[in-house]
Amino acid sequence: MSSSAGIVLAGGRSSRMGTPKAALEWHGSTLLRRTIGIISRVIDGPVVVVRAPGQLLPELPSQVEVVDDPREGMGPVQGLAAGLAATAGRAEIAFVCSTDMPFLHPAFVRRVLRAAQEGADVGLPLARGFPQPLAASYRTALAPVAERLVAQQRLRPAFLFEECVVARLDEAALRADPILAALDPDLDSVVNINEPADYQAARARPAPEVTIQRFGTLADGHRGPQLIRAATVGGAAAAAGLALDGHVVAALNGEQITRDGQTPLATGDTVFFLAADAGG
Amino acid sequence: MQAADPVVAGGYFGRALVVDAGMATASTLPLADEVLRAYIGGAGLGAWLMHRLGPPGVDPLAPEAPLAFVFSPLVGTPLTTSAKFAVVAKSPLTGMLTDALASSQFAIAGKLTGHDAIVIRGACRQPSVLLVDGDGVRFIDAADLCGLPAAEAEKRLRESLGRSWRIAAIGPAGERGVRYATISHDGRHAGRGGLGAVMGSKRLKAIAVRAATKVASADPQAVLEAARDLRARSFGPATAKYRELGTLANLLAFNAISTLPTRNFQAATFSGAPLLAAEDLSKMRSVTRNSCASCTIGCEHIYSARGGKKIRVEYENVFALGPMCGVSDPDAVLAASGRCDELGVDTISAGGTIAWAMECAERGLIDAPWLRFGDAEGLMRALEEIGARQGLGELLAEGSRRAAEHVGGGSAAFAPHVKGLELPGYEPRTMQAMALGLAVNPRGADHNRSGAYEADLSGDLDRLAGGDAHVAAAVQTEDRAAVMDSLILCKFLRGVFSEPFEEWAALLSAVTGWDVDAAELRQTARRIVMAKRVFNIREGWRPQDDWLPERLLSEPLRIGSGRVAALTPERLRGMIAGYYAARGLDPEGRPDQASLTDLQLS
Repeated sequence: MSSSAGIVLAGGRSSRMGTPKAALEWHGSTLLRRTIGIISRVIDGPVVVVRAPGQLLPELPSQVEVVDDPREGMGPVQGLAAGLAATAGRAEIAFVCSTDMPFLHPAFVRRVLRAAQEGADVGLPLARGFPQPLAASYRTALAPVAERLVAQQRLRPAFLFEECVVARLDEAALRADPILAALDPDLDSVVNINEPADYQAARARPAPEVTIQRFGTLADGHRGPQLIRAATVGGAAAAAGLALDGHVVAALNGEQITRDGQTPLATGDTVFFLAADAGG
Repeated sequence: MQAADPVVAGGYFGRALVVDAGMATASTLPLADEVLRAYIGGAGLGAWLMHRLGPPGVDPLAPEAPLAFVFSPLVGTPLTTSAKFAVVAKSPLTGMLTDALASSQFAIAGKLTGHDAIVIRGACRQPSVLLVDGDGVRFIDAADLCGLPAAEAEKRLRESLGRSWRIAAIGPAGERGVRYATISHDGRHAGRGGLGAVMGSKRLKAIAVRAATKVASADPQAVLEAARDLRARSFGPATAKYRELGTLANLLAFNAISTLPTRNFQAATFSGAPLLAAEDLSKMRSVTRNSCASCTIGCEHIYSARGGKKIRVEYENVFALGPMCGVSDPDAVLAASGRCDELGVDTISAGGTIAWAMECAERGLIDAPWLRFGDAEGLMRALEEIGARQGLGELLAEGSRRAAEHVGGGSAAFAPHVKGLELPGYEPRTMQAMALGLAVNPRGADHNRSGAYEADLSGDLDRLAGGDAHVAAAVQTEDRAAVMDSLILCKFLRGVFSEPFEEWAALLSAVTGWDVDAAELRQTARRIVMAKRVFNIREGWRPQDDWLPERLLSEPLRIGSGRVAALTPERLRGMIAGYYAARGLDPEGRPDQASLTDLQLS
């Protein structure tokens, strides 16, 4: 069994936004694609998107699983129950979030997951003035509890928290993680967008500051690290004057190799560009 | 043996020359059209020849062990990178099949002696040079060449015999039976597996060949058009790395992504890597760039070293003698690389064995206080002693597996080999498709017969989490290598083929006149891989030989992103089981009767 999974609740009505939030454009990608990409970096198990029955989703990476929320309009505990049921038995813990958090940072996900990994049933951030049940970690074994609460029409997350051990992470606790404090000092990870103005403001922010480095023949006079702003690997490649193709790949933080230009970036990331052919 | 059968296929002579070095005689072995079509040439045909001519259980250094120089149907055509030959034998390092490729005019002249392969059995009574041309086979005395580097022997022989002769020779290490000695021609080396020691055991300092005939393709016009097309594509982005910086371009990139084996696989990054980077060194030291015969890529980058020496630089040389041994001084690494060429030893096995010895010395398992990681003088002394088989070199000349068996003390756990062949510069824990490829390959830990690293760097799978996708990648890249090594085409050309099996089938059809299609070529690839495995089984392979050093399975690496790269025995076992299933082998890695029948060995 994996230690952690990711659950993205994409099924909200987006009534205030007026358009499905999952499909909102985000630097050449979509909000949902970004959220999945950020979570995928941290977990070692499946990523599950929970959607409303029949809901159209933007194009997703092939390894992402999609499950239907069986009852529409029942709120986050219903989506939580569906997501936990889909991951139970395959991962101990799941990071659960909504799709409308454009500044979610991997360091935040890692810190919140750790709370549940250290023994709690739920790792619940208290950030920017509110508890954040849709940016929290849950033990997947809570799936039956969540389903029972739905059956009982007790649809608020607080009812779930009454029945389990919750590790509450206030801002001080979150910032005690030096990496999170350095990379997301204002805890923008929990900023969500509900209205067009929120989206426009978020979209107007500069892209994350990241470091790129080109190797081998790709360096071509540009040796060494370079700070740029880019929200995706494709954006970083463009800034480097490169195109990801059969001959050029990117290594994100020295680990993930990708040719997918939509791979999201977060503040502090490093992107290496190298020749795809490693023959020696 | 009989006279050659009538030649049916273009690009072939339909016969191998079999030389008895002890009797100074030769005969021809007919190569039937079916055999040539089933094994093509190069490494594939070499495997068939070893089955046919190698006595089961033979000591690789015994006179009766065959040593084969094998050509291919593409040699002599204008197809870029096709001037290559394979040297094939039972390896004195692994006790299993080994084949190593080298390039240039020896391939063309050797084939145009009128043979698809030259096989040598027996041993000369004194150091000799074998001459093969249109006048047949003869031997000349090599006493005055003994102890010389291969390049110097080659130079003197061409001065005395004439410029039309092409020479493959061994250095002092081959003469002294260093188990990872090389055979060299024109600055290129058939490097892996100790073929130079096999040649040395036959008291052959060199083999000289001279073209005596011609060979025609079945459809010369189609071959010419294919050659023009391939030539144009060879100038594109798929080969830019090799053309502009050479394989050393890997080093700094590998360091960045934690795939650069360092200090005998104790780490996957090396703080001294920037000092050895092609990006900078090429600006300061590059003096020229060479191509093999018939090659339009030109991957060979020559650097100037201390004292004005010109050293051919490759990633594997620099990895093995630099980061692997903890040495970051570029002058020292270039000097060590040049000295390996002079002695005639495989740089990967030399570096791996010395790195193992450095760790043993630091742990107190070997009494060699002069040998420490990062100590360039110690590295050079170790190389000299290996080449002379003196002092500690007597032990290290045996390779890391045998040396670890002798030293004991748990040193086998960190001896960096598979089947006795030292690991190349690809970290298996962070390249887990490659980990499988290294574990199961018949030649041992080898990056040329398994190109599974391509998958690790493709972005199509998680290189830190080996599984089914990694198994499929290892099988596919091994199959592609089997065909490229038999046609023979340079691996550095592989990126220009969008539909490789289809395109290779078209090339082979144009040269031979056979109606080969991609499906047949895929089957040929599987047959060649199987033939090597079956040879190894005949020679004593055991299931535990398809495995990796214990260190790689028990010491996880933490990489730059914070993630831990762990390759557990369970994960490797699972991938090996998947590989056996994909290859149609039983759970112990052995083939069924149908596979054996397909090999056409009887």
